[in-house]
Amino acid sequence: MSHEAEPLGLPEGILAHHFSSLDRQNEAMRLGMWLFLATEILLFAGLFTGYAVYRFQFPLAFAECSRHLNIAAGTVNTVVLITSSFTVALAIHFARSDKPRAAAICLVLTLLFALGFLGIKAVEYTEHFHEHALPGKYYAFEEVKIPGAAMFYSLYFLMTGLHGVHVVAGMSVLSYILWRTLQGRYSSKYYTGLELGGLYWHLVDLVWIFLYPLLYLI
Amino acid sequence: MSEAGPSGRGVVGLHADESHEHRHHSAVPYVVVWIALLVFTALTYWTGTRHLGQWALPIALAIACAKSAMVALIFMHLSDSSGTTRMVFATSLVFVGLLLFFTVADVATRFTPATPAGAPFGTERSQPEGLLEHEMPDE
Repeated sequence: MSHEAEPLGLPEGILAHHFSSLDRQNEAMRLGMWLFLATEILLFAGLFTGYAVYRFQFPLAFAECSRHLNIAAGTVNTVVLITSSFTVALAIHFARSDKPRAAAICLVLTLLFALGFLGIKAVEYTEHFHEHALPGKYYAFEEVKIPGAAMFYSLYFLMTGLHGVHVVAGMSVLSYILWRTLQGRYSSKYYTGLELGGLYWHLVDLVWIFLYPLLYLI
Repeated sequence: MSEAGPSGRGVVGLHADESHEHRHHSAVPYVVVWIALLVFTALTYWTGTRHLGQWALPIALAIACAKSAMVALIFMHLSDSSGTTRMVFATSLVFVGLLLFFTVADVATRFTPATPAGAPFGTERSQPEGLLEHEMPDE
């Protein structure tokens, strides 16, 4: 066991001095990330609760507005995000199998999917602006003029907007991790940083899995 | 977690075996989950565009929960995480449940005079009773 007392050829600066072992550090990092994800889940839960209340009050308006959304765009975006989650999972798999090049390619693919998602979302937002299907007092959509329609679009913009902010944040995190991957930081010995970035990206995917049927498929 | 013991940072050894294990870690579950997620997306699109009335929302939520469970367990590795990590996730779900349940229970059990005048609540209660979503004229 004596040769294993050394940190096994880890790159410099991975094991912080206040952790007794890398195992403990990894577990602390994972727990910290999950605590953060729990707060993120509750942040979105607040919006989903608001959605539940107003959908209950305005079932017809919500159904009618939902049918004026671009279902094709929403569906393609769902497939894009699910696939990007898959490529992140693969990136972690390749990193822990000591294939940093394959991991980097998967991360680049993920970033491209994320850009694609934002592009499609931008096309949708442009349509809403042209139709004046906007939140609150800015609502002047000709095709749906029933009470509650403005509220649907308020929630739609809040929820997809906050989700979009998370996509941008996730892209920044993944870009940093891609840079670290190219530097050769992640391997079978240590890949927790990559894993945590992946967790954040999967959360973005999780939120969209609920947004898609609740907004587009009423 | 507990193996490091009093001997301190010298004991990095334990994870050497662990990382060896990870080297033979398989990508097959990820591919299976990815395909399953695509199939479920097709399914939720199909049921969602059929407008199944009162069953539409439960079906959509059931499919979304199934998809989320796959992402959380396999992509996010909750299936082989420590108990502490799983408990954090489970706790957040409990609080989401509490928040949604009591809020919706409040709104669902209000009767019209209990909603303040001018409030958005209850606006559509004045519409003909029993008009379900799927009976709404399709435009």
